[in-house]
This record gives sequence, structure tokens and C-alpha cells, in this order.
Amino acid sequence: MNSLSASHQMAQPIEVAQPRKVFELDHLTVNFAARKGVIPSPLQSLNLKIEAGRITTILGRSGCGKSTLLRTLGGFVQPEDTGGVVYKQRFMDGPTPEIVMIFQENNLFPWLTVEGNVKFGLRFRKDDTRDKAQAVKDILESVGLTDAAKQYPHELSGGMKQRTAIARALITRPRVLLLDEPFSALDISLKRHMHALIRELQENTGTSMVMVTHDVEEAITVGDRVLVMGGNPAAFLIDENTTDPAMLDRYSSNYLKLQKKVESVIY
Amino acid sequence: MKAIDWERAGPWVVGTLFFCLIIVLWEAAGRSDLPFTTVMPPPSEFLSMVVESGFRVGLGSQAASLDEAVIATFGRVFAGMALAFIAALITGMLIGLSRFVTWCISPLLFVLAPIAPIAWIPLAIVVFGINNGTAVFIVFMGVYFILTIGTLAEIRRVPEEYLTVSGNLGASKWQRWVWVILPSILPGVFTLLRTNFIAAWMAVLVAEMVGMRDGLGAIIMMGRNLFNNELIMFGMLIIGVSGFLVDRILAFIGKRILWWRV
Ligand SMILES: Nc1ncnc2c1ncn2[C@@H]1O[C@H](COP(=O)(O)OP(=O)(O)OP(=O)(O)O)[C@@H](O)[C@H]1O
Ligand SMILES: [Mg+2]
Repeated sequence: MNSLSASHQMAQPIEVAQPRKVFELDHLTVNFAARKGVIPSPLQSLNLKIEAGRITTILGRSGCGKSTLLRTLGGFVQPEDTGGVVYKQRFMDGPTPEIVMIFQENNLFPWLTVEGNVKFGLRFRKDDTRDKAQAVKDILESVGLTDAAKQYPHELSGGMKQRTAIARALITRPRVLLLDEPFSALDISLKRHMHALIRELQENTGTSMVMVTHDVEEAITVGDRVLVMGGNPAAFLIDENTTDPAMLDRYSSNYLKLQKKVESVIY
Repeated sequence: MKAIDWERAGPWVVGTLFFCLIIVLWEAAGRSDLPFTTVMPPPSEFLSMVVESGFRVGLGSQAASLDEAVIATFGRVFAGMALAFIAALITGMLIGLSRFVTWCISPLLFVLAPIAPIAWIPLAIVVFGINNGTAVFIVFMGVYFILTIGTLAEIRRVPEEYLTVSGNLGASKWQRWVWVILPSILPGVFTLLRTNFIAAWMAVLVAEMVGMRDGLGAIIMMGRNLFNNELIMFGMLIIGVSGFLVDRILAFIGKRILWWRV
């Protein structure tokens, strides 16, 4: 949000302000390798720009290709070479440590404590000159897990697990955080707590985030921009800016109007 | 005094009592000279025989002390199992890291796996001679294949998220093996090792019976050659108790050290 308003202010009178983008899908086509030939995914020649420094949320029916899209953004899935994902002015050709992904489950290693899991994020970063112990302490504090540092994942609640996963991702100071239904296993009050946390962390760090979810409320309240994916081949049926503070009020008319629009497309 | 927790103590108490009951009946059968007690002398007889002979078994220069026999057998079992455990993990890793190795090794693995460890004894004696090498080799053959196949199955079970997460955080293929796959599979493979301990135990006893001059298996054979039924019974008792103890130790390691499940 900050970068967006900043770029608005800096905009020259002549040209229209363009927010910085982190990803650009340029005729992105993904097919799955099969025993014989390929199975086409719903992603066929897809175009989209995703702005940097904001939270973009993606909704859509089950099987519409949301996870596939997210994995492609992470570089874990190789698209057809007729197009692709442009990241830092070039087509991505694999995962990079700058882009970190968080899943619905199985994020944490059960043999490591909360602290150990978070420290794992720095284990392979030779160039990181920070005091690792201090960095771990700081990040655990920011997600409210200081007291749980010595606990093992099986001793944590679902929300604590996901906060650990977020801490481990953020300690690496990624440019982009990809989240695939990270809160869908949590109950509603925990979810809202996590929404506030993720917004706060985003605003403090300026990390670009793309989050896939099934929860319309989550998409609207967390996202600065809500995309609804659908159809085969997939298209973006709704693309809505939700930075308006009224969108945080679940009873405002703007919120309800958008919710209705989204639900009419999804259900 | 604290009340006894029967939930926990119950199985132990009942188990021990039943065990004692069998011993008592057995002793009673011995006193009344039932025919089977000539081949199965009751504990009081074979234990007193062993105490009288000063915990040494065998005749003259061939005599060996019991603790030596126990140590010999345990050493062979643990050496064989440890080697098989490490070798299975290494094989699993090689197969996981290189498709070429997979193509080379897997047919071999599945052809060799069904061969009973005992079938290797003649070959092993020729290669290693009548010594520890043979026994360790037989134990190794008894558990290596099952552990390797188990390791491969465990590797396939590693959640894909773990691999993505670690790759994401900058782990190389090799680092991923050490820091993610290995800890993921260790508990499962270790459980498999524990369940196959019986196979290893069998293998070493058979090897000692047919090839060795010492160890618990050899005690049984010595008893047979000397028509000494007390010695046979005593050997069997030691084998049973030792096996039980080792299983408890392995269970403890599995529960306390390699406790996590993926
Ligand atoms: N590895 C694969 N091989 C073949 N087909 C696949 C593979 N992965 C996904 N698909 C198919 O691609 C389509 C999109 O899958 P994807 O996981 O992206 O859906 P999704 O939108 O994330 O669904 P959900 O909301 O249930 O998570 C589905 O029809 C799925 O069956
Ligand atoms: Mg999905």
C-alpha cells in the first residue's frame, strides 16, 4: 500500500502512474507431464500483472488451478516456453530463495522445535551476516511465539504452527511470500487473528504476498486486490481493488456488494 | 503409600504371575518325573548345573565362560544390524539421488532380497572363514534388504512440502538429504530395524549353530553334542531373555530418541 501511494505522489503529470510489479504472467501455459504426452492444466495463455509490496488474494473453485498458479510463481512448476512468469525482467526458470512458499499443512519439521524450525530458514544462507540467535528471537517475538520457542510442532495449535511457518519464511527476508490456503484449517477467531497479523507483517516488511484461499472474507479483508479465477481455460473473472478501508468492515455496503459479486461467480 | 496404578502395573503383574505359574508347574512336573522333563529339565536343575560348573560350559579346553558367549552373540547381532542400517540408508540415498543408480541397483535388490540369510552361510564360510565375519555377514544379509526396501518406501512417504520448503530455503540436493529426508525417514526405518531384530537374532543363532565355536547358538549345539539337556535349556533361557532385553532397548531408543513421526 505504501509503495502504491508513494508512486502516485511521484507520478509525473504526463504519464499515468504504474505501480511496480513483482510478477507478470505473459501468456503463461502450464501442462503436466503424463506417461503419454501431457495433460493440459487450466492455465492456458494467461496474462496478469501482480503489483509489488501488496497482498494479492486469489479465490476460485476447487480444481480451477490456483495452487498450480502459485507453484508456478514459486518456480516449482516449469511452464511451457511459449510464455511464462516474468520476475525481475526475465522469465523465471526455477525456485529462488527470494520467493518463499507457505502451505496449508506440513510446513514444519516435526523433529525440530519452533526455534529450530525458524532457524532452519537461515541454515543455508551463508551470506546472511546477522546474529542468527537474535534474528530468531526478534522474529518469534513479532509473531508472538517467544514463549513457545522450545516446543515441538505436535505440541502447538494450528495457529501457532502457521505462525511458526510464517516466521521461518520471513526471517529469510523474502521479496515475495506465497501462501496456499494457509489458514483454512483454523477456526474463525484464530483466522481473524492471523489476518491481522499477516497484514501487520506485510506493512512492516513491505513483502509482496500472493495468497490463495477459499474464504471470501479472508480474501477481501487480507487482500489489497482480490482476484477470482475460474473457467477452463482459466481466466480472471473478477479483479477488484480492495485497499479502501471500508473493505475492512464486513458490514459496509462496499464489502457486501463485493462479497455478493464474488459469491455469484464462485457458487 | 501411594495407591498402585493398576492401569500401568496390571499387565506386568499378570504377566509375571503367569510366567511364575508356568515355572511352578514345570518344577512340579520335574519332581514327579513326568517323561518330558528328561529333555526339558526344570529351571532348578539346569540353573544349579550352571552354577556348579562356575558359569562355564563345555569340556576341558573347549570350555568357554557364559559371559563370553553372550558378548560374542550380542556383538555379532549389533555389528550386523548397525552395518545393515547404515548401508540401507546409504543405498536409499544413492537411489534417491540418481536415477541411473536406481536402474542399476533395484533389480539386484529385488532378486537378492528373497534369499534367506541362512542360504548365505556356506558361501560366507568360504569367504570369511569360521569367524565373526561370517556371523556379521549373515545378520547383515538377514536385515539389509528389508531395510533398504523399507527405506525406499519411507523416502516416497516424505511429504512433498518438506522438499519444497527446504529447496525454497536454499538447501542443495545434498543438504536436503542430510537435513530433511534423513530425519524424516530415520524413525520409520528404525522401527523396521526393531521389528526385524528377531530375524537378525535368528540369523546369528543359526550361523553360530552351524559355523561358530562360540556364542549362544554354539552353546545349544554343544549341549546337543554332549547329550546335556540342562545346557540346552539354559542356552534357550539366555537366548530368550537376551532377545527380550534387546527388544526393550530398541523400543526405548525408538520412543525416546527417534520419537517423531512425519
Ligand atoms: N501433477 C498433476 N498432474 C496432473 N494434473 C494435475 C496435477 N496437479 C494438478 N492437476 C490438475 O490440475 C487442476 C488444477 O489443480 P490445482 O491444484 O491447481 O487446483 P486448485 O485450484 O488449487 O484446487 P483446490 O482449491 O482444491 O486446492 C486440477 O484439475 C488437478 O486435477
Ligand atoms: Mg490448491
